[in-house]
Amino acid sequence: MNKEYPFNKNVLIAVDESENARRAVLYVAQLLEGTEGFRISILHVINEPEEDFFPNPEERDKWIIQHKNKVDKMLEEYRQILINRNFDPDTVSVQSTRRYCPSMSKCILEEKDKTEYSTIVVGRQGLSRTEEFLFGSISSKIVNYARNCTVWVVE
Amino acid sequence: MKESISQKTLHKMVAKWASPKPETYRFKIYKDTSDFFRVEYGSVVVLDERPFLVLHNAKEGRFGLDDEEKFWVKRAIDLIDGSKKIIKLVFYEKFVANIAGIAFECFRSPRKEARILNLVKDHKNFMHGYGVEDEKKNIVRVLDIINGKPLNDYFQTLDIDHKTYFHEQFPEILNKYIECIKAIKFLHEHGEKHGDIRRDHIFIDRKNGDFRWIDFDYNYQHRENIYSYDLFGLGNILIFLTGMGDVLTPDLKKQNHPALNSLTDGDVNLVFHNRLANLKKVYPYIPENLNRILLHFSESANWFYDNTSQLLEDLEEYMQTK
Repeated sequence: MNKEYPFNKNVLIAVDESENARRAVLYVAQLLEGTEGFRISILHVINEPEEDFFPNPEERDKWIIQHKNKVDKMLEEYRQILINRNFDPDTVSVQSTRRYCPSMSKCILEEKDKTEYSTIVVGRQGLSRTEEFLFGSISSKIVNYARNCTVWVVE
Repeated sequence: MKESISQKTLHKMVAKWASPKPETYRFKIYKDTSDFFRVEYGSVVVLDERPFLVLHNAKEGRFGLDDEEKFWVKRAIDLIDGSKKIIKLVFYEKFVANIAGIAFECFRSPRKEARILNLVKDHKNFMHGYGVEDEKKNIVRVLDIINGKPLNDYFQTLDIDHKTYFHEQFPEILNKYIECIKAIKFLHEHGEKHGDIRRDHIFIDRKNGDFRWIDFDYNYQHRENIYSYDLFGLGNILIFLTGMGDVLTPDLKKQNHPALNSLTDGDVNLVFHNRLANLKKVYPYIPENLNRILLHFSESANWFYDNTSQLLEDLEEYMQTK
């Protein structure tokens, strides 16, 4: 007998300002086209900027405010992409959270674990092997570390 | 500026630890070190009421280049106890580094270095010193001098063949380098990165032969993995130490080395393509389990180390089996 695995229709799209993140949003918008029952959440984790990067705390606070505004605008734009593809506005939410992330993929997965998502969607960054070696690849690590969910990596 | 230490006192202190100055000499005293170009030979920097006589600017040479003068780094004498120090003044530098065509933003952080100095004050594999704010809140670092030379200098004067080196000297060198990797692990476990891991940023302490990391004021905006750039540096040094220096593919070509027949594109360093990583092809007596570690930093690697523990685990396994 085929065993049925419990999963829900909640989809988390992890995004940043990159073109590949936009592609991930567009993919979900085009694939699901507002299909009833799906709930979409668009997440951006703001990597808490190290204090070292700024000459003083005021500069840091200024950066955080400016960056948060930029992120809010980006998330709203992504939300509209989904709404324009027939998603009920009530089923599309956005969230940004600021935290210290030695590993961005782990931060994203920890955010996912806070709520019930059976599917996580990320864009592939298209890094060269050297870049992946020097800085790591968020999508690769999400694929490696994700548990109890399905990962869609959008090319 | 009101001087807290009189000229007469300074003359006395200087005469105790260095060549005395003529009586007519007037020491320039700096409590604000913002303009580090002005802080020159023969002036006195006062930090937290402690006077330091400035001797000269420090220099740093790298890979055969002439020594570059670092105007913000001063050699000095602590006029209270006569100890020689290096004083690093604040130099905020932001720049875009480029490695193998990949640009990333780097910056110098005095705060980071001061924080790490405090963290490693009892750790034998790091330079020692402390951070102190000057009158204008610049975080100045006062460093103990390590009597010794950078690791790469050791190899410049080594006059033995690789096989002899590998069997007679490498085991001890690797032991000491493993200590250095453990030291970086210690930093990572405390949420810090070195930021500029290079072979000339390890000094061999003449006193006891310990390998000690220096210069940790570099920082960069990380992406996925905060520590992967440090790991890249650790791998480069490991290959350098195993090879008794860089094994360069152009050199092999010049020598018409027999290994050239079996070399593939995957055998070179993943970032520096003119350096060989698969050293076993040139030095066949290198054990497989050590060479496999080197290959994690090669073009053919299909898996990269995520953290120092993984690298150490493999190295320790090699040490047990050799």
